[in-house]
Amino acid sequence: MDFVPHDNKTITEMLGVIGVADLKELFQDIPKELIKEKLNLPPGLSESDLFSHMQEISSKNIIYSSSFLGAGCYYHYIPSLVNFVISRSEFYTSYTPYQAEASQGYLQAIYEYQTIISRLTQMDITNASMYDGSTALAEAAIMATLITNKKSIVMLEGIHPEYIEVVKTYCWGQNISVDITTEDKLLDQLNEDCAGFLFQSPNFFGDIEDISKLVKKIREKAPNCLIIQVMTDPTCLGVIKPPGVTDIDIFVAEGQSFGLSPSFGGPGLGIFTAKKKYIRKIPGRLIGKTKEIDGSREGFILTLQAREQHIRREKASSNICTNQALCALAALVYLLSMGRTGLKEIATQNFQKAHYLKSKIEKIPGYSILNSKPTYNEFLVKCPNIDSLIYQCKQQKLLPPLKISKYYPQMKNIALVCVTEMNSKDSIEAFLQATQVALNKRREVGE
Amino acid sequence: MKSNITLIFEKCIDEELNNYSPKMDVDVDDIKEIVPDFLLRKELPIPNVPEIEIVRHFINLSHKNYGVDTGIYPLGSCTMKYNPKISEIVERLPNFSQVHPLQDENLGSIELLYKTSKLLGEITGMEGFSLQPAAGAHGELAGLLIMKKYFEYKGIKKDKIIVPDSAHGTNPASAKMAGFSIIELKSNEKGEVPLEHLKYVMQEGDVAGIMLTNPNTFGIFDRHIKEITQIVHDNGGLCYYDGANLNPILGICRPGDMGFDIVHLNLHKTFATPHGGGGPGSGPIGVTNELSSFLPEPCIISIKNGLVCKESNDKSIGRIKAFWGNFGVIVRAYAYILALGADGLKRVGQMAVLNANYLRVLLQKKYYLPFKRLCQHEFVISDKNMANNITTEDIAKRILDFGVYAPTIYFPLVIQGALMVEPTETEPKRSLDNFIDIMEKIYEEAQSNPEVLRNSPHNTPIKRLDAVLAARKPVLHD
Repeated sequence: MDFVPHDNKTITEMLGVIGVADLKELFQDIPKELIKEKLNLPPGLSESDLFSHMQEISSKNIIYSSSFLGAGCYYHYIPSLVNFVISRSEFYTSYTPYQAEASQGYLQAIYEYQTIISRLTQMDITNASMYDGSTALAEAAIMATLITNKKSIVMLEGIHPEYIEVVKTYCWGQNISVDITTEDKLLDQLNEDCAGFLFQSPNFFGDIEDISKLVKKIREKAPNCLIIQVMTDPTCLGVIKPPGVTDIDIFVAEGQSFGLSPSFGGPGLGIFTAKKKYIRKIPGRLIGKTKEIDGSREGFILTLQAREQHIRREKASSNICTNQALCALAALVYLLSMGRTGLKEIATQNFQKAHYLKSKIEKIPGYSILNSKPTYNEFLVKCPNIDSLIYQCKQQKLLPPLKISKYYPQMKNIALVCVTEMNSKDSIEAFLQATQVALNKRREVGE
Repeated sequence: MKSNITLIFEKCIDEELNNYSPKMDVDVDDIKEIVPDFLLRKELPIPNVPEIEIVRHFINLSHKNYGVDTGIYPLGSCTMKYNPKISEIVERLPNFSQVHPLQDENLGSIELLYKTSKLLGEITGMEGFSLQPAAGAHGELAGLLIMKKYFEYKGIKKDKIIVPDSAHGTNPASAKMAGFSIIELKSNEKGEVPLEHLKYVMQEGDVAGIMLTNPNTFGIFDRHIKEITQIVHDNGGLCYYDGANLNPILGICRPGDMGFDIVHLNLHKTFATPHGGGGPGSGPIGVTNELSSFLPEPCIISIKNGLVCKESNDKSIGRIKAFWGNFGVIVRAYAYILALGADGLKRVGQMAVLNANYLRVLLQKKYYLPFKRLCQHEFVISDKNMANNITTEDIAKRILDFGVYAPTIYFPLVIQGALMVEPTETEPKRSLDNFIDIMEKIYEEAQSNPEVLRNSPHNTPIKRLDAVLAARKPVLHD
């Protein structure tokens, strides 16, 4: 099938208006030797055949009845309103609202997104979105170097390992040095040349940092260094202290938890917020409220575009153009649907259910919890045999936790377990049973 | 005075609404027993809004927004074509949408990524592909980092890059992010790359290569494209293809055959995935065989026992995004390519060019056309012929009054008062004729009633907004 609305008669008529004999003549500027007679691709499919094919290929994936895997991508309940709103084609088939007067709907929605994220995080300003959490963090690091005119970044261990890689890639592009440090060595690493200090909380291993303490320590040692926090599951903000009250300069997060399906890791949502004084250095689009030129009514418009690539070209603060607008709209509808009460409730449930499983696992001989700090919905479990646990989880139709040696080969037999409000009591019991069986099987084979 | 705007926050109620979270089914400790007091937040200023209010709010906002499903969206270089509805359905199949990026049993997703890479390889004439980049500009960054890594690996210092003055703004911005300094090349009077000047610049020795979109932003296919890539290669440089304008040459010719080494595509333009109001997009990059090992991590490769994911290699530029790229967007593009097949894709190129030339020929009767020649997917007209100093902005705002969207304005920067028009292949002739009627009417109005243009738009929910005020006193949230 194709989506061309012309019949042959129309095509002939249009060719006549243009004054060419046939379609080939339209391509006369293209050197003959470059013309491709036919691509080596299969013939087109009808919609029904296409649907069958897509179903067949998707069926090679397995989905589970319940998940214990997080590590940067989470299963949370998505209210039906989210899909309902983002399926309105006035939104999803539109483009960046350059013509404000014909785009007031989307502009207002993104303004409301900026507002709700600023309220949730208590940060002064929020942009209209970045690609995802990892690129938002990388752009935050670059932004810190633009503000301070320094070329060195320090990252605290515990940032999502894939995010660390992305920051390194971006920084290598601009000859910015990147060091990764531990809490003990932190003060040795920080100095006057440091543009930004990056940390994650709750971190990749589940630990929630005492941010006020951390910030105080850094400000004393390197007062000009920007402090940048990243978060991979911001649903915790329903309960825990927002970054804006702890003197964070830039706060970024992966917003997939706010109403987006896991979808094999994308599209997600890069949440990007900062202190007001950095407003002219922030990357990406911003929506502002203004007034009519000759009137008194208020409206919304893309603003401070002088920071952006289509005006400033190589002097822009970032190259970003297309962002994740529809995902920002989804996040807005998610946060509104849940509301204050729902957000607090699910953050509480994540804390409580994870805590429940933690306390049960601790009682099973051979297993132990490795976190010494408070945790949200993820924590580290030392297992007698992780492969056996993973196998038993799959037997129970549970998506197993992350084998953390995927990223840290030296951390053997350690699982990063995630529990959200989606894990019913039954699924938690099934997981506990899997841990028990994994233990017994190990004894049977005499390991 | 009461504002004309009602934000969603004003529609909240005091009731403790909790309609969506599951019922707590585990006996647990109070949250205060689990979380230390110093970690708890004091207040959560998020409104509780009844469902009916949320629904009506967004439906009413949608009425104040314009999409491809509303009518013609002739934004040049944005390729606002129709988005097939089947793509929305297949992207939401649970066995795609519910798959975790780190789970083991992911063969369907991996196979789809691999097959999409192969299809894009055939379409562009490139050997290796990465689907990691999340948008066009992200693909540009990845592609330029490959260039940087390649020269670093070869031990050659090349830190400058040529960008023509007609390039998309993302090109110089991306080049800067990859650590290159920019040499701007002025297009010649035909709208093409000046070969002699290119030769002269390339001979400097420290130039890594050129970033080019072909057809360019004037909608002109550069007839000397083979010579251009030859000159760059002869001087040890690499050629980067900005795929933003690939649509008109789909199935007609391929960047790989033109001599390009690195190509990025915009799946949300050429391959009909929705623009979503500015995203999510997807910006895959394709490279020659020689550059394949520099692609971002991870890469999917085919081996005897099936497909495997290769996490890292020494030459790779590293990760540019967490996980696997914008998978949901890639699913839609894959479905689109399969739906159209070889013949359908060729028809896309042909009809995109037919529609653009039809508009060009009829609009140039009244409007100034800087390059009087056949165009490809788009063309540029300007406000030069307009009576009473009517500007491009006036024209654009007046277009909105007739219930259609305006072209890209004031771009490319090198054409004063540019209006860049790209109708795409999915626009019916009826709709093109309507657009021409509107443009002719506006041309007449410039002579007979210029005030109606200067004060436009009149029929939109709001009149022309004060951009200066918005930037001088930024209000970014309530």
